[in-house]
Amino acid sequence: MSNGRVSRPLTAWAFLAPYVVAVALLIALPALLNVGYAFTDHTGLTRDPRFVGLDNARRLLADGFLADSIRASAIHLALAVPLRLLAAIGLGLLLAAPRPGGRWFRVAVYLPTVVPDVALAVLFLWVLNPLYGPLNQLLGLFGHPGMNWLAEPGSARLAVALMLAFPIGEGFIVVLAARRMLDGRLYEAAALEGCGPFGQLRRLTLPLLAPVLLLLAVRDTILTLQVNFVPAYVLTDGRPANATLYLPVYIFDQVFEFSGFAYGAMITSVLMVVTAVIITALLLMVRRWRVLR
Amino acid sequence: MGRFLVPAAFAALFAAPLWFMVVGSLRPAGLPPPRTFEVLPPEPTVAAYARLPELIPLFRYLANSALVVAVAVPLTVIVASLTGFGLRLLTPVARRRAVLGLLAVLLVPVTAVWATRFELFRLAGVVDTYVPLLAPALLAGSPFLVLLYAWSFGGVPDTQLGAARLEGAGWLTIWRRVALPQVRPATLAVGVLAFTLHWSNLIDPLLYLQSGDRYTYPLGLQFLRLLNPTDWPLLMAACVVATAPCVVVFLLAQRILLNDDPLAALRSGGRR
Repeated sequence: MSNGRVSRPLTAWAFLAPYVVAVALLIALPALLNVGYAFTDHTGLTRDPRFVGLDNARRLLADGFLADSIRASAIHLALAVPLRLLAAIGLGLLLAAPRPGGRWFRVAVYLPTVVPDVALAVLFLWVLNPLYGPLNQLLGLFGHPGMNWLAEPGSARLAVALMLAFPIGEGFIVVLAARRMLDGRLYEAAALEGCGPFGQLRRLTLPLLAPVLLLLAVRDTILTLQVNFVPAYVLTDGRPANATLYLPVYIFDQVFEFSGFAYGAMITSVLMVVTAVIITALLLMVRRWRVLR
Repeated sequence: MGRFLVPAAFAALFAAPLWFMVVGSLRPAGLPPPRTFEVLPPEPTVAAYARLPELIPLFRYLANSALVVAVAVPLTVIVASLTGFGLRLLTPVARRRAVLGLLAVLLVPVTAVWATRFELFRLAGVVDTYVPLLAPALLAGSPFLVLLYAWSFGGVPDTQLGAARLEGAGWLTIWRRVALPQVRPATLAVGVLAFTLHWSNLIDPLLYLQSGDRYTYPLGLQFLRLLNPTDWPLLMAACVVATAPCVVVFLLAQRILLNDDPLAALRSGGRR
């Protein structure tokens, strides 16, 4: 064993140290503090929080807005995650094959991802505008009278999910790269066995990519629970009828608008637990399918 | 034919919003709603772009954003590359554990850290400065950027690292002189993506910046929307100004990120 190899784990951790320190200070510490603040009456304005036990938890149970908010988040999750995954995986597999000019198709798919999210949200305010908006005009070409997208709870939820189906670039690239890493000879063999394109997709591509797709699903669930803040803040600000009052929007309102710092911390702690439960359930489900050993 | 038709249809679908943005910014102000779908507005004009600096301190906002990006992007690239190299040096088992640990940390919702992170920065006395805006840079922008570097460094052979080590080079020197030069395209790609992340950041400025003259451009855009909620050509022009730098910078890196073989493209430093 050479000297270099023996010292390697330590060296590796030395390189990881700046990131680990940043994660500890900027994510782990605030997250822990959050749990502590959840049992106080801190408003964010004064500096001497008092311990109030389970007061915030009691308030949590009686809060109708919170129930709306949880429902909005759950519906959004059910709409947006499958849509985003389907788009990222479908397009990644569709556009992975080399073809002349193929890169430009990929560029077009990636472009909405580089649009700043506030600009994308303002743009969708315009696209969804009932009078001027291009979407209703496009629907008009097919004889549909158009919708007042952001005024109805159902269509507003749909509109936000639709908008978030565009910035899918990260997942798209991961699928492109993962598909590229698969062995081409497997596909030749499958073709020789008389396996058609759909058989190849079902028997080869999807099972081989399963770990990557799982990772994407986990990451997208987390992202979708959290990243809908800017679109909802700009597009609807939680309206109509709390249909888009997603948890991040509600937490933001509590902490920074209503001086409910401690109560916001309590909701956040609940959100953390919920996220962890969802992800664990996802992982257990997948373990059953034996894709990850 | 079908080999091109379906991809082209999806490409058009994803490019459409950007097209609407540009076309919307060219509409003359105060025009009645169009009767049917219009590919180009009648009498397109760039008047909205001229009105923009009259309504908001456009160049001040852009300069502020540029300042933040100029510090945040190099910081992001350094953190992402150090972390990616660290992952490369781990044994496969340890690497899997590190990635799982990373995932666990990422389960913490961003909203979970808004309030208490704000409290920490307030105690440090840096609210209403650009310091809190650098926090995402210390976290390498996004785990995706760390992943890009980890993939790229995977192509640096063990024998090279060992040889440099035998010649007495320290690990930092190896990172800088041996590993980084081989993944120059990855550095470009990560830099570009870091640029789009920091340039787009709305949440941190929204939370931390209070003085109007320190606003970054995304915050200025949000401010403009509250000021003129129905002046669509103006708002679309503001969106184009926000988006254009990201698109231009991204086009520099698309050759690498969206290559037929992205892994090879990320690693082909110095040879192409």
